[in-house]
Amino acid sequence: MKALRRGLDLLYFAGGVLGALCLIAILLIICGQMIARWSGIAFPGSTNYAGYFMAASTFFALAYALNEGAHIRVTLILGHMGRFRRWGEIWCYTVAAAITTFFAYHAIARNLQTKKFNFLSQGQDATALWIPEMAMTIGSTLLAIALWDHLIRILFTDHSGVYQPDITEREH
Amino acid sequence: MDQLTLTAIFLFILFLLLGTGVWIGLALMGVAAVGIILFDKGFVGANLTDKAWDSASSWTLTALPLFIWMGEILYRTRLSEDMFKGLAPWMARLPGGLLHTNVVGCTIFAAVSGSSAATLTTVGKMSIPELRKRGYPEFMTIGTLAGSATLGLMIPPSLTLIVYGVTINESITQLFMAGVLPGLVLAGMFMLYVTGWHFLRPGQRPAKEPKTSFGHKLYNSRFLIPVICLVLLVIGSMYLGFATATEAAAFGVIGALVLATFQGSLTMETFSTSLLGATRTSAMIALILMGASFLSLSMGFTGLPRGLAEWIASLGLSPIVLIAALTIFYIIIGMFLDGISSVVLTMAVVEPMVRTAGFADLGFDMIWFGIFIVVVVEMAQITPPIGFNLFVLQGMTGHSMGYISRTALPMFLIMVVMVGVLVVFPELATWLPENLRNRP
Repeated sequence: MKALRRGLDLLYFAGGVLGALCLIAILLIICGQMIARWSGIAFPGSTNYAGYFMAASTFFALAYALNEGAHIRVTLILGHMGRFRRWGEIWCYTVAAAITTFFAYHAIARNLQTKKFNFLSQGQDATALWIPEMAMTIGSTLLAIALWDHLIRILFTDHSGVYQPDITEREH
Repeated sequence: MDQLTLTAIFLFILFLLLGTGVWIGLALMGVAAVGIILFDKGFVGANLTDKAWDSASSWTLTALPLFIWMGEILYRTRLSEDMFKGLAPWMARLPGGLLHTNVVGCTIFAAVSGSSAATLTTVGKMSIPELRKRGYPEFMTIGTLAGSATLGLMIPPSLTLIVYGVTINESITQLFMAGVLPGLVLAGMFMLYVTGWHFLRPGQRPAKEPKTSFGHKLYNSRFLIPVICLVLLVIGSMYLGFATATEAAAFGVIGALVLATFQGSLTMETFSTSLLGATRTSAMIALILMGASFLSLSMGFTGLPRGLAEWIASLGLSPIVLIAALTIFYIIIGMFLDGISSVVLTMAVVEPMVRTAGFADLGFDMIWFGIFIVVVVEMAQITPPIGFNLFVLQGMTGHSMGYISRTALPMFLIMVVMVGVLVVFPELATWLPENLRNRP
């Protein structure tokens, strides 16, 4: 059980780190694009590549952002529920887990399609789309796992959901 | 079931999910999925992944994480200390004294960061204790800070404007340029308020600051000047057409890294915390954008946006009345939602309304409307019950929400005047981007 817990937490964090690396990749691509333009070298498809890394950065980091309390929500009612808050959280996690699972299921289905028919990007890059779309598949699945993980812990342990930092402790 | 009942169910679910605290991005996705099922418009899953992928992998959006990262890096430098120390000698002799450091400090930090809470903490961390020590009235210190920090949303880079531009497919560069003059005018109006206080309440003036030499002033702002240069580089490269918004953001990140290195505040730890912080915030905003773009597809099926636009057109209201109504509408929404969510949630419905002839005749285009929406969303930041800036200030000063909102009330009224100024002089927002548009 303990090993599972540690493994999952490591997995979510790894997603965040991967997302951060994709952010660095965006920076490098954009710098490369500028240098290429100034020196008259062609860098075809650079905007598409930056876009793929943008998507990858987002999707990989979704679960990590959830665990860090970065995703925003309206807590006005939840905050006034007192001892019924647990039920409110169960409702939220159930709805969110259901939506995300639906999303992940269709992301996987879509990814299998793009692989099977080998769809290519319409842009200058002509990338096989199943490769960048893997980020959506993996990221949405990871978010779904994280949400079920929290829901199960709320139901069976005294876990109360993601620690949502007080607004005053947040930098943003 | 008829169209109206279905639309009512759709809206009910939207408010139910948002109100009960489901994460905003996911709530929008859920409602949109239900909408497509209700109106029986094809494959839910395929539409969802289409919209999610398109909005997440958009090239325009890449400016967002980079600008967030730039702000995160500078937030972790010693900018906070230097901001006050560097500005104070220049402001000390103005009527209204060091209170001006709040306004000017926020204006400068707003130009490196797109968020108003970050602007507030960076400037307030030093200026609140320093102003207290010198005996400035608390009411003025807190009020000017709460108000000026909202400039973070308007002066480029602005996260709200990026999200607005991505949502309605307008150029981020033009929106950024549109924000410059109104932002400076608003800052000027805040400074006038401080000056007015100086002359109307002479009894509250603290003791005069000692005179300092020019060299001394320059020495104190030695760290501030590079930051100002970075700001000019980022905004200037966009204005002169050297760089797109994303490229300017890349300049910003590299410049911020260089500045932080020279200041000695760039360690492996600050580098990774700023990077992870930017990754989190950008993932959060991208999730909302994905949900919102799926929702606006679904919202289109309900016919709500078109119906509402036609209904409003049939009322024959003048655009001025409509702007007044929208102002109140956004302030109310802003009481419950943050700025970015209220922009993406409403644009599907509001856009057709604004793209009508009546608005264009008065010189209001989508770029102008972006600046309008930002001012209104800013106002919501300092109105209770959920004003982000009020919460942050409560945490920093320990005053009650009621007191802080009272100090911010004059600033709120100044922003109401600002909306009026924008309506009377739409060129304020549209002149700079049009000038840029004409560039070869």
